[in-house]
This record gives sequence, structure tokens and C-alpha cells, in this order.
Amino acid sequence: MKSKYWQNLWENFWNWAGSFSIRTKIFGIVLGSTIILSLTFTFQVQSALLTLLEDESQEQGISIARDVAAHATDLILINDLYALHELLSETQINYHDVRYVFILDPQGNVLVHTFGEGFPIGLIGVNFADPDDYQNTTVLETEEGVVWDVAVPILGGKIGTARVGISDLSVRQTRSGLISRLILTILIVLTASLLAATGLTWILTRPIFGLVSAAQQIAQGDFSPRVAPWAHDEIGDLAEAFNHMAEELARINELREEREQLRRQLFEGVIVAQEEERRRIARELHDSTSQSLTSLMIGLRNLEECCDNPDFLPQIERLRGETSKTLEDVHSLAVQLRPAVLDDLGLEAALGRLVEEWQERSNISTDAMVHIGEDRLPGDVETTLYRIVQEAMTNISKHAKADSVSVLVERRKDDVVAIIEDNGIGFEREKMPSDSRLGLLGMQERAELLGGKLTVESSAKTGTSIFVTIPIDDETEISRG
Amino acid sequence: MEKKYKYPNACLHLLFLFLITSCISSPATQPAAYVDLSNLQPLPTPVDDEIVPLRIAIAAVISPKGSAESYGPLLDYIGEQLDRPVERVQRRTYAEVNELVESGEVDFAFVCTSSYIIGKSDFGMQLLVAPQVNGEAVYRAKIIVPADSTAETLEDLRGKVFAFTDPMSFSGRMHPTYLLHQMEETPETFFAQTFFTYSHDDAIYAVADGLADGASVDSLVLDFLLKRDTNIGSKIRVIHTSEPFGIPPVVVGPDIRPKLLAQLKEILLNAHLTPEGQAALEALDIDKFVVIGEEAFQTVEEILSLLNTCYTCEEE
Repeated sequence: MKSKYWQNLWENFWNWAGSFSIRTKIFGIVLGSTIILSLTFTFQVQSALLTLLEDESQEQGISIARDVAAHATDLILINDLYALHELLSETQINYHDVRYVFILDPQGNVLVHTFGEGFPIGLIGVNFADPDDYQNTTVLETEEGVVWDVAVPILGGKIGTARVGISDLSVRQTRSGLISRLILTILIVLTASLLAATGLTWILTRPIFGLVSAAQQIAQGDFSPRVAPWAHDEIGDLAEAFNHMAEELARINELREEREQLRRQLFEGVIVAQEEERRRIARELHDSTSQSLTSLMIGLRNLEECCDNPDFLPQIERLRGETSKTLEDVHSLAVQLRPAVLDDLGLEAALGRLVEEWQERSNISTDAMVHIGEDRLPGDVETTLYRIVQEAMTNISKHAKADSVSVLVERRKDDVVAIIEDNGIGFEREKMPSDSRLGLLGMQERAELLGGKLTVESSAKTGTSIFVTIPIDDETEISRG
Repeated sequence: MEKKYKYPNACLHLLFLFLITSCISSPATQPAAYVDLSNLQPLPTPVDDEIVPLRIAIAAVISPKGSAESYGPLLDYIGEQLDRPVERVQRRTYAEVNELVESGEVDFAFVCTSSYIIGKSDFGMQLLVAPQVNGEAVYRAKIIVPADSTAETLEDLRGKVFAFTDPMSFSGRMHPTYLLHQMEETPETFFAQTFFTYSHDDAIYAVADGLADGASVDSLVLDFLLKRDTNIGSKIRVIHTSEPFGIPPVVVGPDIRPKLLAQLKEILLNAHLTPEGQAALEALDIDKFVVIGEEAFQTVEEILSLLNTCYTCEEE
């Protein structure tokens, strides 16, 4: 219970202390130490001095009172009140700190005093000296400050008591003078501390600010900044470690970029090779396989016409049907692999046919709008867009459970945009099957190879939308064309 | 950032406040009482006691402090015997004491021999009793010089500094003046400088300390002092001792009531018979008090009339 309280207190303190900047902390520590030191110093000095001064004043008071008592003895005995009064007046004049002197007879009546007209009656009874006393001192509080009242018996108290009041005025003056000087010294020391703290803060925080700024630049991808090591201290070590880290990061980044470049080239090569291969296979299927099958069809028809044996006729009929079906399949396969219409008539026509065939196959209502314009797009852009739309639609038919799909492809000033939307069930990237995820990554890679961008928005309520933007400029068009 | 600096500022203010308050901390000693020194009121006049004290004057044969200390026990004894408070009255000069006796301000007084002679002729001062010391009621005037002085006679003190006790003192002034008179000199012509100490003990100390080259003092006071302050003996030397004179007596004024006179006489004359009285007399080195006649002062009276001095003047 108790330890938890202290733990809380510690945590609160730590939160509070942690909320200040290093600058404030240094200022706080320097000023705090200076002030605590100054306070302790001032307190010690002034209390020691005060004791010393007070003791001295009291000692002086006792000497004066003893002196007055000695000198007053004969004057009292011979009843020379005038000389007695002179003695008291001169004592007061000669000793700056003497506030009053008076002499009491043994009955406690005031014989002579230095107050002039009247006497503060309350003063008589506040101090008393026994006949055997050397002296007796009482501290009085008056409206003028503290007064040490010294009583000394005269002739063993037989003829009276001498009383001297020593004011603490000069003690106070000395003390306040000393304190003013101490405060002045403290202010000078404080100013010096402030300057020192400013310098220290600057020395400490300057390299830190440099580190922060360099780290921010590195976070933004600029690996060039290095921090100048300022001193061979802990912060200097930090700067060195930081520079080493930045160098490592730059090297790793370079390596990564190199690999990325290689990977892209490889990917591009694979895609080009894949397209080429598909095109070759499609052509082969069209030119060679289809021709062979057509020749087979013609051969079978001829065989049907010239064959008189009715037993073979149905068999020939079945073979001709099979061959026709195979021919259709081969044709369809060739189109899927690489539609000749894409190469021959362009993206608009190719997409039109793709959507039409897909709609027929999947039975999903599809709305396609493709505006490319009169000029054809570069070949790689056409291929990329065709493959992206193809992959997207394959995914929809496989996973989306959609009943409406819209495809928009539009040529703008500097780019071409494709949007494929469905009203299906959407997907979560993390829960996708790996082949679909690879398909999606492939779409992205294809777009990025051309400097484009592909983004996917998907939710269970609104379905999935795929946005593709591929930049087109005349130069690339020419170079690609 | 600005906001963060608010905290340390507040802390700074607190610290400064502490600094200032610690500087104006309370003094080391705590006052015992409060007194308003500006509240001045007229002092009450002391009310006269219903019982009138017996007032006794002591002429400054020895210094006021010395007199107060040595006469204290005797005065206390008299007060006890009379069952009446006693007030000691002292004055600087013999003349002032004579005035007190004349005006009746004191009931009786211890005076010097010459004071009695002058008082008797001036206003009828009466003898009460006289002390007896070492078995006789006489005393002598002794001329003393510092122990290291080369002077052997009064003549050797010519051109020196001489200390008189009181202008009216017989042993302290009249007698040395008389001796000079016989040498056809006056103190003014004989000595380079003279001064008054107003008591015999101070005159002895003046010689012992080398302040004066010589002084004439009461033999009783000298013996009294030599007994109490042994250092004095080694510092002074007696170069002349006079013939015996009538001892300084105890006197009363002309208007004293006979009953009191009788009471006082009885107390003083019998003082040595009681242990308390004996102790009081011992403090004064007195054997006892005895009745004394005017004839004891015959010689002194003659010397005084010879000098025909202006007795009451301090400076001739």
C-alpha cells in the first residue's frame, strides 16, 4: 500500500520532470543549486554574525553598566545628583549603542535617568540584579527594536542599581549592510550561473538538434546528411554511432534499390517473354493446329460423302463433331492466350470482346465503357491494361459473388485510367488465398513497371474497386511505339 | 515551450521569497518583555515615610564608598538600638556636613577635629562622644611621601606637588599649613602645586600612585588603611608625625532634643558592651566611645586661630 503510494509519487514526479526540455532541466539544476547554496551560505553567515554581534553588544553593555555603577557610587553617597546626571548623559553620548541609562535607589525609585521629561514606568520592573550578581541582562522588545537591559548592583545593591539599555540598532545596521552585500553577490553569482547554464545548454543541445534534423531527413529517404562530431564526449559517441548507422542505411538502401531494379528487369523480361510465348503459342494454335484440324474436318466430310457403308456413317459424324469442338476450343484457347484483336485492332476492341465473352461465360451483368480515342496506346500499356482487366474479372468471377460489374477505361491528357468495380463481398488482404494475393501483386507490379499506380479499395458492403493510372507521354509513346 | 517555462519561474519566485524571508529571520535571542520606550510618564514623587529616620552625617574623612562600607555596621547597630531606621548622609566636603548639622538636617555627625572647632564657634556645635583608638582619644597628622622619594623632612618637599584632603581638614590641611607657617611659608609659595582629594584615603592613594609628592593625613585613617591594604605600606613612607591632637569627635547640632541626646550618648558609650556593638566598632577599628571634654581640642583651637584662615574657602 505504502510502496504503491511512493511508486505513484515517483511516477508523477518522473512525468512532471520529463515534461521539461533539457534546456529547462539544465537551467533548473544550475539555478536551483546556486540558489540553495546561496541561501545556505547567507543563512549561516548571517546567523553566525548575528550571534557574534549580539554577544559583543551585550558584552559592551555589561562593561558600560559596570563602569557607570563604579563611577556612580561616590556620587550617590554624597548625593551629588547633578554629577550623577552628567555621568549618565556623557555615557549616553559617548556610547552610540546606549539607548538609556538610569539609576534606581534600593527602594526601586528612579534617582536619575536619561529620558528627559518623564520616564517609561514599565521599564523599572523588567530587570533586577541581586546584591551578589555581577550583572543581570534581560532582553527587552521595544517599539525601537530589541534592547538589552543590563542591571548592575551598586555597592552590593546597598545604594542602588545601575541600569543600561543597549539598542540593537547598530547590530541591525551591520547585519542589513552585510545582507545587502550578500544579496548583491548572490545576484552576480546567479547572473554568472545563468550565463553558464545558457552556454552549457547550447553546448549540449546543439548536437542533439543536429541529430534530430539528420534523423528526420533520413526518415524522408535522404541518406546523405551526416552529423559533425562536436566533442569526444557521450554526445560525440552518439553522433559517431548515428553517422555509422546512416552510412549502413545508405549502403543497404543502395543495395535494395539495385536488387529492386534487377527484380523489375527480370519481371519485365518474364512478362515480355510470357507475352511473346503466349503470342507464339496462340499463332501456332491458329496457324498450325487449327489448319490441321480444319484439314481433318475436310477429310472427314469427304470420307462421309464417299463412304457407302452405313455402319461407319454415325462414327464419322461423331468424329466430325469432336473435331469441330476441338477446333473451337483451340480457337478459344488462342484468344485467351493472346487475342489477335489486341494486336490488330487495339485495346478498345480487345476489351470489348473480353467483356462480352466473360459476360457470356459468367452470366454477370457487366457495363463496360472504354474510350481510348483514335490514337492507339503504346503496346505495353495496352497489354498491361488488358491483362489487369482480365485478371480483375477472373478474380470477380472466382471470389466476389457479385451480380454487377462495371469497367471503365478512359484516356486522359497525360495518362490512361482504368476502374474496375463490383458489388461483391469484398476481401481482406490478410485473408486472401495466396494465389489471389500473388495475382493482385502481379497487377500492381505491371502498373508500376510502366510508372503507373494501382490501388484497391475493398469492403464487405460496397464491394471492390480497383483504380489504375498509367502515365502516357509522347516520348514514351514514340519509344514504345 | 513557453508554457513549460512557467513551472521553473514559479519555483524561482518561491526560492527568492525563501531567500528574502530567511535573511530577515528573527534575532538569536528572544525578548523577555515588551517595553514602550516612548511612553514617558512623570515619575511618582517618593512618599515620606511615617517613621522619620535618624539621619547621621559622615564627614568624608575617608572616601564616600569607604565610609559607607566601614560605618555601615555601626549605623545598623544604632538603628537596631533605637528601633528606628537610620539614614546615612554623606557629602563631598566637611563644610557641607557642618551645614547639615547647623540646619538640623542630620541628627548627629562624625566630623573632623577642625570641623568641630569651626562649627562650635559658628553655630554652637556640641560634642556628643569621641572614639577611643588604641586606648587613647587622640590622633596625629602624618606627612607621607612615596616610598622611593628622597624627602626626609617637610623642607625637602619644597617645589613639589602636595595633596590636601579637605579645605577644612585639620590633619589634611590645617596642620601642614601650620608647619609651613612656622617656616614662614604658605602652601602657595612653598609647593609647586596643591590639590584636594576630599578624603584621606584618596590622598594616601595619590601619594602611593605617585600623583602627589607628599600629603598630610589622619594617622587613624593611615593605620586603618595599612591594616586593610597591605600593598600601601610598601609604596609610602612617613617623614613627619605630629604631636597628638583631639580625635575627630561625634557631634550634634545646637537644637537637639535632650532625650535623643541622652539616648544616643547611652547607645554609643555602651556599644562596646554588646557583641553586635563590638563587631560594629571593630569594623571601624574603634575600641569604644568615650566622653570627651572641650579641653582635648585646646591645641587645635590655638593653631586654627593662629592661622586665622578663611576656613570655608576651598581656595585661599
